[in-house]
Amino acid sequence: MPVGTTEPIIRMHHVDKHYGQLHVLRDINLDVHRGEVVVLIGPSGSGKSTLCRTINRLETIDSGEILFEGRPLPEEGRELAALRAEIGMVFQSFNLFAHRTILDNVTMGPIEVLRRNRREAEAEAMELLARVGVEAQAKKVPAQLSGGQQQRAAIARSLAMHPKVMLFDEPTSALDPEMINEVLEVMVELAQEGMTMVVVTHEMSFARRVADRVVFMSDGQIVEQGTPSEFFDHPRSARARDFLDSIKGH
Amino acid sequence: MGVAEVFTTFGDVYLRSLLSTWLMTAVCFAGGLALGILATVLRVSPIKPLRVAADVYVQLFRNIPTVSLLVIFVYALPYLGATLPYRACLLCCVILVVSSFASENFMSGINAIGVGQIEAARSVGLSFVQVIRLIVIPQSLRTTVLPMTNLLIATLLTTAMGSQVPLTPPELTGMVNYVNSRSVAGISAFVVSALCYAGTSVALGFLGNRLDERVRIIR
Amino acid sequence: MSADVSMRDALYEAPGPRTQRRVRVGTALSLALLAAFAAFVVRQFSVNGQLDPKYWSFFARWTTWRFLLQGFMGTIHVAFMAGVLAIMGGLLLMLGRISPNRPLSAICHVITDLFRSLPSLLLIYFFFLVVPTYGIRMPAFWMITLPIGLAASGVLAEVFRAGVNAVPTGQVEAAMSLGMTHGRITRRIVLPQALRIVIPSLVSQLVVVVKDTTVAYVVSYPDLMQNARVLISNYDALVSMYFVVAILYIIVNYATNQLSIHLAHRGGTQVLSRVDEKPV
Repeated sequence: MPVGTTEPIIRMHHVDKHYGQLHVLRDINLDVHRGEVVVLIGPSGSGKSTLCRTINRLETIDSGEILFEGRPLPEEGRELAALRAEIGMVFQSFNLFAHRTILDNVTMGPIEVLRRNRREAEAEAMELLARVGVEAQAKKVPAQLSGGQQQRAAIARSLAMHPKVMLFDEPTSALDPEMINEVLEVMVELAQEGMTMVVVTHEMSFARRVADRVVFMSDGQIVEQGTPSEFFDHPRSARARDFLDSIKGH
Repeated sequence: MGVAEVFTTFGDVYLRSLLSTWLMTAVCFAGGLALGILATVLRVSPIKPLRVAADVYVQLFRNIPTVSLLVIFVYALPYLGATLPYRACLLCCVILVVSSFASENFMSGINAIGVGQIEAARSVGLSFVQVIRLIVIPQSLRTTVLPMTNLLIATLLTTAMGSQVPLTPPELTGMVNYVNSRSVAGISAFVVSALCYAGTSVALGFLGNRLDERVRIIR
Repeated sequence: MSADVSMRDALYEAPGPRTQRRVRVGTALSLALLAAFAAFVVRQFSVNGQLDPKYWSFFARWTTWRFLLQGFMGTIHVAFMAGVLAIMGGLLLMLGRISPNRPLSAICHVITDLFRSLPSLLLIYFFFLVVPTYGIRMPAFWMITLPIGLAASGVLAEVFRAGVNAVPTGQVEAAMSLGMTHGRITRRIVLPQALRIVIPSLVSQLVVVVKDTTVAYVVSYPDLMQNARVLISNYDALVSMYFVVAILYIIVNYATNQLSIHLAHRGGTQVLSRVDEKPV
């Protein structure tokens, strides 16, 4: 897997964040390089989702610095919207626009943000929907789709913006077990095509299979990180060992 | 006097009364929606004093009895340097009351959208104005069709307060008084007015249901 | 996290420095605007002599409040009886409507929709102007209470029906599989749960009933509004009295609404108001 040797596309530097009393991110330092697949794992409440959401500033930080392509994240306005257009995000609960068809969901960004014309946008959207396997549902509204189909459509919606990075915030946690694989397959393909990805997940098989690096978080801290085989086979910290033991039971 | 006689004697007054009731309902509903939208915009704005003021506004006008508001407009305001014609007083009162309920409807329409879709819209790179225009307004309008239809019917019923001030022509409820003070109409005048109200309500309800079926968002 | 954020806050995200500046300016401007409005209102009272102590001093007297309280008791009396009537009427209409007897169901449907689509004032005029022409004399109390109760029964019938629909169908099917009859299932399984579900809605409907009672002066029944009118002619203090009465009504209705929201919250149900239902 080609890991860029130049400057990282995402750099988090001494990032801290509190929710009231709760210290959700403690001195986070993390670089993500172009083409790299970074999987964040850890017990619930460890701050991994929050970390993922700070990258496109859905969550603000209290101190520290986040750089995207070497520049600090814009704080508001047009600049922030432009940044978000370059970063794809896939949510746990899909968050498709309930009042629009699947096709409209995918074309909204290209048409409204990138100012592409509708015909082109729709043609490309249909290709993307075909790629994730829901082209037959293009004219339906989100509620008519299964969870797995909705999540794949949501991935297509993000891809339509030609993002430089894709963030996945527990993309399979809200899915019935039989639908998890269809979404993971799409993600594996993306990773194999060289997409830069930050993935928060509980799917250890996915982490093993496609991660370039596994980052283990606990209590708002990055406790350890390494290649999947390093981490899963030889965890260094006690907390990581406890965590891996606790999920093995399942 | 039977219903038929009421029609021959008071037919044209009734017609004008019905049209006037419809017109007042339309004006009050439109005014109420406009003010309700304004109140809602203030209620979700990031400027704290405007939020609080709009919240207070809505609580005041959804809890005040319309008569209580009407007597203030008709009898108290002239002492405070503002004398409005009777019809204007009635329209203002109904508009204020309707706007507070309209704002409550809009707020629940907005709440039904859910934070997730707003975050998703932002993540795609939509600006604040685009999020409002493409997601918030269409969704909240489409989810409030039924509540707004009910509010429209409630507006129709609230214009009955017009019977408490002299109006020419009287609205439908005032007509019962109008007819009974001019002849012994018994139940007939009541029946005619009741049919007008019920007919209008049923028609509005039918249209509202139709519209709702077409635009309802499946969640 | 995001789930705890209300939509109200979610529309605007965490402000950057530019937005923060704008919010500060907006806050200052809006405070100035609100202060100017308040000052204007006070000025209008003042220049028109409405702040004169003679218009307000009688509110310091116990007799004033005792008389208003008597009126309020009248309001409560009407509202309570109308509420009881409406609950009984609404329940009967709803039971009729959900009964397997087709004609009965249709009749109850029509009556429900009719009551829902008539202004309570029109019904009051019916009892005040029309009924007496047939030689029937009614006390003022019933001329106000009956129409309000009838108007509310139409709304409550729909509220009850929504409550019945909220009872999981699985329970009815289970009861049917035990061989229970329709009437028995309704009495034993459906109604007790439906009633619990609609309690907050019944409380919120009280607000509508209280508002309806304010026209009791039409039939000269001594409620809060009517007694306020008596005080107005006694003290020649119209402006102050009408404002005070309006505030009293607002407080009572606000408290009732809050109670209903609290009950709904505690019971994990929703307040079903006329606005939430299918139109007629």
